[in-house]
Amino acid sequence: MAYVAARGGEAAILQSEQLHQLLNAPLSLATVRMIEASLPYLVDRVMGEGSLYAPELAALALAQTGGDLYEAVLLLRAYRSTQPRLAYAEPVTQTELLTVRRISASFKDIPGGQILGPSLDYSHRLLRLDLLDQDNQAHSASAPPAATVSSDAPVDEVPPSYDPSPLAVADWQRSEGLLAAVPEVPLTDPASLPDLTREPADFPAPRAHRLQALARADTGGVLALGYASMRGYGLAHPTVNELRLAYADVRLRHPVTGEAFSIGRVRVSQCEVVDTQATELRLGYTATLGWNEVKCIAGAMLDLEMDAPQPHPAHSEEFVLYHTEPVEASGFCIHYKLPHYVTFQSGLDALRDARATAADTPTEPGDAQ
Amino acid sequence: MQAHELLDILTRAPADAVKRFAEDLLPRLEPVEVLRNRTGLAMLPFRETAQASTFYLGEILLAEAHVRVAGVEGYAACLGRDLEQALALALIDAAHRAGIAGPAIADFARTQAADLAETDEALMRAVGQTRVDLETF
Repeated sequence: MAYVAARGGEAAILQSEQLHQLLNAPLSLATVRMIEASLPYLVDRVMGEGSLYAPELAALALAQTGGDLYEAVLLLRAYRSTQPRLAYAEPVTQTELLTVRRISASFKDIPGGQILGPSLDYSHRLLRLDLLDQDNQAHSASAPPAATVSSDAPVDEVPPSYDPSPLAVADWQRSEGLLAAVPEVPLTDPASLPDLTREPADFPAPRAHRLQALARADTGGVLALGYASMRGYGLAHPTVNELRLAYADVRLRHPVTGEAFSIGRVRVSQCEVVDTQATELRLGYTATLGWNEVKCIAGAMLDLEMDAPQPHPAHSEEFVLYHTEPVEASGFCIHYKLPHYVTFQSGLDALRDARATAADTPTEPGDAQ
Repeated sequence: MQAHELLDILTRAPADAVKRFAEDLLPRLEPVEVLRNRTGLAMLPFRETAQASTFYLGEILLAEAHVRVAGVEGYAACLGRDLEQALALALIDAAHRAGIAGPAIADFARTQAADLAETDEALMRAVGQTRVDLETF
């Protein structure tokens, strides 16, 4: 495909940007702080797809774009490209997570118990219209309370067995002989892992590439393909083995002492699904930065599908990983809005030539039948 | 208190409190040589539970600082892009390992650790109360 440069319209472009800002709320620090504090799941989604954990910047990206998710993700990825890579953190393992939600839809009685954590799963999906009916002035005068964690319940009411780092359900299944043991792989040198941001995906992709691609994939894209699998286009019919929301410490090596220390905690989510229809239990897996359950569940199902010998074409590894990359997909889509006058003119010329040729060609007897 | 334990605590402590503490400490640390103070990224490797492989979950924005105080190097990094917070943490790290203001640093760290532990315990209490015992019919 050939492109040509176009000129002109500078004043209109500037006016267009100003009109965009005029029709959105004024961009201010207060707006950014409000988004970060009150819309954490949206911020998480932008960070997950942007593949950059930076809540403040994700909130800024959302404010700056008026909440256009793909533009916000693009802003975050663009910012990321300006920053040097300084370090490789220590690998995060399951046992180090501070887990706040952990459920299994496959096994009722899992070691450590079913922990609902922060969830609206069993809540009524009813709009709180009473909030809108409050006096507007009083409503705007009362700032929302700062997000704090508190519990009025006395300590002795806490289940004494609650462990913030419960055993993975898969590990429990392995100990029960339900799942094949996985070989003990020594912790890989963090800098030596295959990295999609440094090398393009090749198919079949190394598992590290596949899981990294799913971690930064578009939630809507993963859901669409995963849902197709769930509806019956797929070969697997799994259930959720374990879904987990947690905090993970990011640990770096101190350059002077060589000891690892935490630079803070980030929100992570992960999901395993288990296929019971096969001759043996098979697991699918996806994890992402931030708390995003839908993406992890759908991604884990696609992980299973991609391993099938002859998956549906829309569930092949290449199809899934290429078409769920949010910046490439949205970028390609929105490029169609940009001037294609030469391309279209060329097509139009070809169409006119074809018509002229058809008009000049004498009709053979019987052609009209 | 080990150096890494100190950083474990102070990187999660409120940034303003850490900056104020470092500011108070500064007169005892002069001259300070700032070797590096910048923002950048760290890759976060993650171990999956299905096949026990490791992959990059994504990148983390961080601020880091590397300083030299009384011939001792200090280093720290924190989440986000707050260069002053990273610098304050690195100064405290250098002071701690140089044996400067040891008791004050230990007291400050203990106070912050207690606050963080209280927040974690409150969170865990709240999480523990969402444990559900399901019955099938």
